[in-house]
Amino acid sequence: MSVAWQFYISTVLVYLGVDVIACWGLNLQFGVAGLINFAFIIFQAAGAYTAAVLTLGPAIPAAKGGFQQYVGGAHWPFPLPILAAGVVGGLLALLVGSFGIRRLRSDYEAMVMLVVSLIATSVVTNQVGLVNGPNGLALVPKPLASIVSLSPIGYQWLFVGITAGVCVCVYWLVHIVTSSPLGRTLRAVRDNEHAAAALGKNVTGLRMIAFVLGGVIAGISGAILVEFISAWSPGSWLYPETFVYFTAVIVGGLGNNLGVMVGALLVPVVFLEATRFIPQFGPPGFIDALQWIVVGVLALVFLWFWPRGVIPERRRRFPPAAEGEEAQPLMPAKAGR
Amino acid sequence: MSETGALLTVTDLHRQFGGVHAVNGASFHVPPGRITGLIGPNGAGKSTALNVIAGALKPTAGKISYRDQDITGLPSYKVARRGIIRTFQISSEFAKLTVLENLLVAAPGQRGEALWQAALGKRYWRPQERAMVQRARQLLARFDMSAKEDEYAGNLSGGQKRLLELMRGLMADPALLLLDEPMAGVNPSLARRIERHLLDLSGAGLTMLMIEHELAVVERLCDPVIVMAQGRVISQGTMAEVRADREVLDAYLIG
Repeated sequence: MSVAWQFYISTVLVYLGVDVIACWGLNLQFGVAGLINFAFIIFQAAGAYTAAVLTLGPAIPAAKGGFQQYVGGAHWPFPLPILAAGVVGGLLALLVGSFGIRRLRSDYEAMVMLVVSLIATSVVTNQVGLVNGPNGLALVPKPLASIVSLSPIGYQWLFVGITAGVCVCVYWLVHIVTSSPLGRTLRAVRDNEHAAAALGKNVTGLRMIAFVLGGVIAGISGAILVEFISAWSPGSWLYPETFVYFTAVIVGGLGNNLGVMVGALLVPVVFLEATRFIPQFGPPGFIDALQWIVVGVLALVFLWFWPRGVIPERRRRFPPAAEGEEAQPLMPAKAGR
Repeated sequence: MSETGALLTVTDLHRQFGGVHAVNGASFHVPPGRITGLIGPNGAGKSTALNVIAGALKPTAGKISYRDQDITGLPSYKVARRGIIRTFQISSEFAKLTVLENLLVAAPGQRGEALWQAALGKRYWRPQERAMVQRARQLLARFDMSAKEDEYAGNLSGGQKRLLELMRGLMADPALLLLDEPMAGVNPSLARRIERHLLDLSGAGLTMLMIEHELAVVERLCDPVIVMAQGRVISQGTMAEVRADREVLDAYLIG
């Protein structure tokens, strides 16, 4: 394989890993807990900015030739910036969740999230001292690059390995949630929150768990992405990006971690990469605009004809009782409670 | 227990929606081990009263005490954790969960429902879950629903959803079951089956408060009976007693 192809494939693999991680996070919120988080991308962005700032080191003032201004710069060694990105994503989710997901009907909740996303873009763009405004952050050092001595292509594959490792950790996290009684209760809250509350489930607390875990995972995905591409600006996380992830989760199969992985492969990677190979035609920028049309049409087609996605949510069956297994006695009334 | 021996005591309960007094000073109590009927014409405030007791609505004024403890204004999940479980008038199944999963969700004190417990892995919560599965299967067998165990609850018929609603309530191990028209919209033979189940449960000592429109059913199942009209309790006693009450006749006729 030529070096150029290796570069291309390893780059696509890292993007795929980032998208898979993000889609798992969104699936936990939307597919499992039913939270319509139209601000999903800002949690990825928060993670990316955190990791960038904690890798870049202290900002150099403009008077001394610094070309980018930001707060809280530090030189943390790998993998601390990635972990910190997860923490910041989770804290941001706790903050947004504290007003966004309590006591709101899901359609209003979706509106609040969209507005939060727009506000966040506007604040980051205009508060230039925060994370360098519209120009964003650049020249973020690559993790381990100063320690390992690898050829550029060798480093590419090392990064693919790091991404894969993080994917495994995140999968473990989403799997223990979705396969446990917690996952079942979250799905119950998604299907009917009033009935769940009437059975003793703390609906707000449960939704907050899903929201914060999704925020942590989104933050981690942003950190991987920024460490790989070395730059991050408001253009990377405009609100339409959220809809790419929503489309991926819907196409793949809501509530199914494996399906969501397929969705992340199909939508942000296969369909959006495929448009690169279409010969340029029409007015300038036509192909780029076509990407958004493809995403919109995909979402519509699946919602109409295939709403459960490529790999639908798994039907949980329970094995028959083992021999000698005693059932708990059935007592309709506990006299002495 | 209070001096009256009641499990649940509602005192001067008010609930307003804007200018409408849905419940306007209702007081009654629910004795243990029986099925208490709550009847009255449409708009009498029965469902609102039930929603306030269950914590789904906050009362405007008044007091609700349960086992001599004040539970007024508690959120519904806290009311439920004390053993007061309600069913809904409109089926409230978890549509994309199977019938068995619907029941498992209701089981109280589940291991693995908190995040840290889930992180401890299957070995921590699986044994208890298996016991719960067996318990749920007993319920399914008792209600003749074993064949539907793996069916998505959303695919059940209207009558089967009513049965699921009741089974799910029982799975939660209630001390007081609040039933909002448990036989609404089911065919007569299934209604009779539900009736028998309620009688069996009552015989086993379960306390119930039931809203019901069919007076013949109330007569067969409920003692005492509470009659509400225009947000107030206008009569209570046995069905024979309230039938004789002039005010009750007026309420139903004028209603």
